[in-house]
Amino acid sequence: MSDCRAIQELIPWYVAGSLSSEERQRVAAHLVGCDACREELAIVLGLQLASHAAFEEIERPAPEVWERIREETVGGRSAKLDLGLFLLGFSMGAQLRGRRVPMRADLRVLGRNVSLFNTQRGGWK
Amino acid sequence: MAFRTLYERYSERTLRYVFTLLRNRHLAEEVVQDTMVAVWKSAAKFAGRSKVSTWIFGIARNKALDLLRKEKRGERIPDTPLVSPDPSAGIQREQRVKAALETLSEDHREVVFLTFYEQLSYAEISGLLGVPEGTVKSRMFHAKRKLAEALG
Repeated sequence: MSDCRAIQELIPWYVAGSLSSEERQRVAAHLVGCDACREELAIVLGLQLASHAAFEEIERPAPEVWERIREETVGGRSAKLDLGLFLLGFSMGAQLRGRRVPMRADLRVLGRNVSLFNTQRGGWK
Repeated sequence: MAFRTLYERYSERTLRYVFTLLRNRHLAEEVVQDTMVAVWKSAAKFAGRSKVSTWIFGIARNKALDLLRKEKRGERIPDTPLVSPDPSAGIQREQRVKAALETLSEDHREVVFLTFYEQLSYAEISGLLGVPEGTVKSRMFHAKRKLAEALG
């Protein structure tokens, strides 16, 4: 069948689940009536499982890798220059206590809270 | 997201990708290190046009290919197996596929990794590798044949 080559080219991504819904439906519809492509599907499923297992066996980076990265980034001398470039978050909080309303503002920089403002401690930092 | 969290989330996947290309554990870890430092320095340039993973993979790939180019200039990167052979497993099916993965070219093994392990679409792989989608499909077609032969 002339369509088989095109379908068989798509089967790896059909197995991986990364085809568009339109392509997925096209492959599925073809598979219903094509023994050769169903056989190909079975082969590719086996390959997918075996190769996934092989890649899974590659161990995670050694702990020293993070230590070296940390020295060059968050723990390094030049890190301050880059702080503004990475992921930032900002939060404010207020709490009613009698007639006074203590307020605080924190800037979250790379997972660390940096206090900007806290009325209990007095003024902007 | 804290940078450490970003590292925890992507370093292992990046190492597996780079190791698939280089097949050298020590150099793959160096590439992961250089990649994550580059990610830190260029985080503001991430435009969100791709997944974070493919953005990081793109940086890692360029660094790995630089190393491969050095190898071609005569600085040999020693090969190490993708995975250590398990003698107890004998000629089991998975072992044969692992051995066959070793025989694939970097180009073909890379497409197998990105398709079957990372579950990227062929369009995403095409974008990451900077090659036409037809080339991605063709590489997979040939890699698949070679792996299937290993299964007998």
